[in-house]
Amino acid sequence: MAPDDHPPAAIVCAGLVKRFDNGMTAVDGIDLTLAGGRTTALLGPSGCGKSTLLRMIAGLEEPSIGGITIAGQPPAALCRQGSLSVAFQDPCLLPWLTLRQNIALGRKLARLPADPATVDRLIDLVGLGGFQQMRPAALSGGMRQRAAIARALATRPRVLLLDEPFGALDALTRRQLAQDLPPLWRHAGATTVLVTHSVDEAVMLADRIVVLSPRPARVLADIPVPLDWPRRPDLSEAPAFRRLVQTALAALVRGGERSQAVAAQ
Amino acid sequence: MGLLVLLALWQALALAGGGYLLAGPLGVASWLAAHGGLILRALSVTLANAAWGFLLGNLAAILLAAIALVWPRLLNLVGGLALVVFCLPLVATGPILRVLMGPGEGPQVVLAALAVYYTTLIPLLAGLRAAPQVWFDLIRSYGRGRWSELAHVRARAALPYLLAGLQISAPAAVLGAMVGEFTGAERGLGVLTIRFTRDLDVPALWGVAGIAAAASIVPYAALGWLGARIADDKPPVILSPPRIVRGSPFRKAAGTALLVGAVLVLWWGGMEVLGLNRFFAKRPDDLAEALLWAPDAARTRQVLWAATVQTLIWALPGYLAGLAAGAGLAILLSLLPWLGSLMTPLAVALRSIPIVTTAPLVVVLTGRGAAGTMTLVALMVFFPTFVACQHGLRQAPGPILDLFRSHAAGRLARLLHLRIPAMLPALFASARMAVPAAILAVTVVEWLATGRGLGSLMALSASLSDYDMLWLTVAVVTVMAALFHAAVSAAERRVLAAFAPEQTHA
Repeated sequence: MAPDDHPPAAIVCAGLVKRFDNGMTAVDGIDLTLAGGRTTALLGPSGCGKSTLLRMIAGLEEPSIGGITIAGQPPAALCRQGSLSVAFQDPCLLPWLTLRQNIALGRKLARLPADPATVDRLIDLVGLGGFQQMRPAALSGGMRQRAAIARALATRPRVLLLDEPFGALDALTRRQLAQDLPPLWRHAGATTVLVTHSVDEAVMLADRIVVLSPRPARVLADIPVPLDWPRRPDLSEAPAFRRLVQTALAALVRGGERSQAVAAQ
Repeated sequence: MGLLVLLALWQALALAGGGYLLAGPLGVASWLAAHGGLILRALSVTLANAAWGFLLGNLAAILLAAIALVWPRLLNLVGGLALVVFCLPLVATGPILRVLMGPGEGPQVVLAALAVYYTTLIPLLAGLRAAPQVWFDLIRSYGRGRWSELAHVRARAALPYLLAGLQISAPAAVLGAMVGEFTGAERGLGVLTIRFTRDLDVPALWGVAGIAAAASIVPYAALGWLGARIADDKPPVILSPPRIVRGSPFRKAAGTALLVGAVLVLWWGGMEVLGLNRFFAKRPDDLAEALLWAPDAARTRQVLWAATVQTLIWALPGYLAGLAAGAGLAILLSLLPWLGSLMTPLAVALRSIPIVTTAPLVVVLTGRGAAGTMTLVALMVFFPTFVACQHGLRQAPGPILDLFRSHAAGRLARLLHLRIPAMLPALFASARMAVPAAILAVTVVEWLATGRGLGSLMALSASLSDYDMLWLTVAVVTVMAALFHAAVSAAERRVLAAFAPEQTHA
């Protein structure tokens, strides 16, 4: 997969606030600049508003206050160019299409020419070779999620957004994909944002971890992950890895305690 | 197998009963063999009318659904207008169409179209919205808009719903065409039915009823088979009531007012645009005059009121009995699975028979009084309710059933706490859809046989060319059906909110 002609796309979030119609504030004042071509993990407790933040970056939600630019453009512009892909928490495969058609759908929707070779390669890469003609109903939850990731990658996006990408996967597959996928999006020069509540996953996959508070989401800590690529599975035993996990975990715990104290008042 | 048993039972009954009211299959077959040409000619007329009605009605449904899709704000209005038209009493609409369109097949075709479009429109509207929100998020995340939504998601997601709607509308088209033939056509199965009812020709009546039933079941089964080949994903039974208006009481009142206004404007405007003669094409203000300030207004009101009460007294118990019998039998069979597996295919086949077309037969069998009317209304309500309730009873979620089993809960406990609550949405949905059906049944029997109630008043007004009264009966029946429908919907929403909250968002 050759890098695109475009330079890496930086994502800039300025003064982001998201308040829903029912008065619930999901995101409360987030300023972030995500360097192009790097992978950032948004780490936070369940329901903290990290998915809402991701949806705003994807152009699916409008911020109530503040704004987002990607490579100097609004997210919707990148969507229209077909250079932004989202892998949703729900694998979101269309039940009447075969696995292969579902993965090819990404390119179709992005109005890119069909590219059977890339599609087949991705299918093999996520370990679904031999299942091309199956319908989603016949696949396991983990297989569907891998298909969704393959669909997102099929357009060679400049921006790749992953919402709990490994949520439904078993430990073995999770380990395998954590090994196989980052080189793909890194090589393509994609700016990747992934939402997760697993500290180990954040350290393993990202160049940088942004720890978010319980709802409404604010930035609690911004932790660089200076581990070398490629990262092997046994890296998770290394002292440097464990120290990063401890740092991120400590930030999460502090945030949880603070919000409980606020709630108690 | 079940069919053979039924046939044998039928023949035995006919032999025992002396063949006066009940013609055995042998008698019917020999009659049909002797009158093949006559039947074939009538059948081809009825089928042609039904086919045209099927085509036009379903095209109208698809068009309306498209309008509601392109302008979502019009959804409530389109749904409301569609419901009002669906509540029109086919029986009285026939003679009005007859004077408007003159002799020929026009009225039968229109009635067939009216009988089918609603049962296609509602599933189609539901199907076009049946996709989960994340699929639309996916489309939007690639920067694509409504057309891509339609092409990649909505059209395909709606396909099984559309096919289900088309399947149901095949027998409904036959029903509409035959109701049209009951009320003053020259040719067709309905005309034959009327003639044989007058002559009390029992084998002939059974023969025509059998042919009409076959003419309904065959396309129903064929479309079912075709649908299964085209789309292998079965649509869920659609339970969520069409949202006419939602939101605050003020907005509801405003929506209802808008709907009433739209009906009046379309009615009046349509007549004016077509330049129809006021003598038979009554406008809303003509009816207001006849009902309120004409010299004989008091008498008109009195006649209308008496007929309405008469109709309600017979329709209501039949309606409730049909619901109770449908739900009751479904529950009973869920306790006796072996009997259920025998009965269900039969019930599904019988459901596709337009019961109304057998009205003359039921009247001959049970008499021209309350019993016949109530039986027919009950039958009309029974079959769809039974099939829907059986489906509902099976909807109890598997994991919760397992939980009950793990506590060794008995069959009765599972029935009371799990299966019956799971069935309620289906019961209420059929109760809602059965309102116009029940009214159709009662007016048909009154028109053809009993000589009482609104149906009879319609027949009388039509034969006397009393168009004020004819239009008034249409208006009364439509308003009555719409009000009942609204009342059942309101009850249904409460039940759904409690037992099937996921259905209320659709």
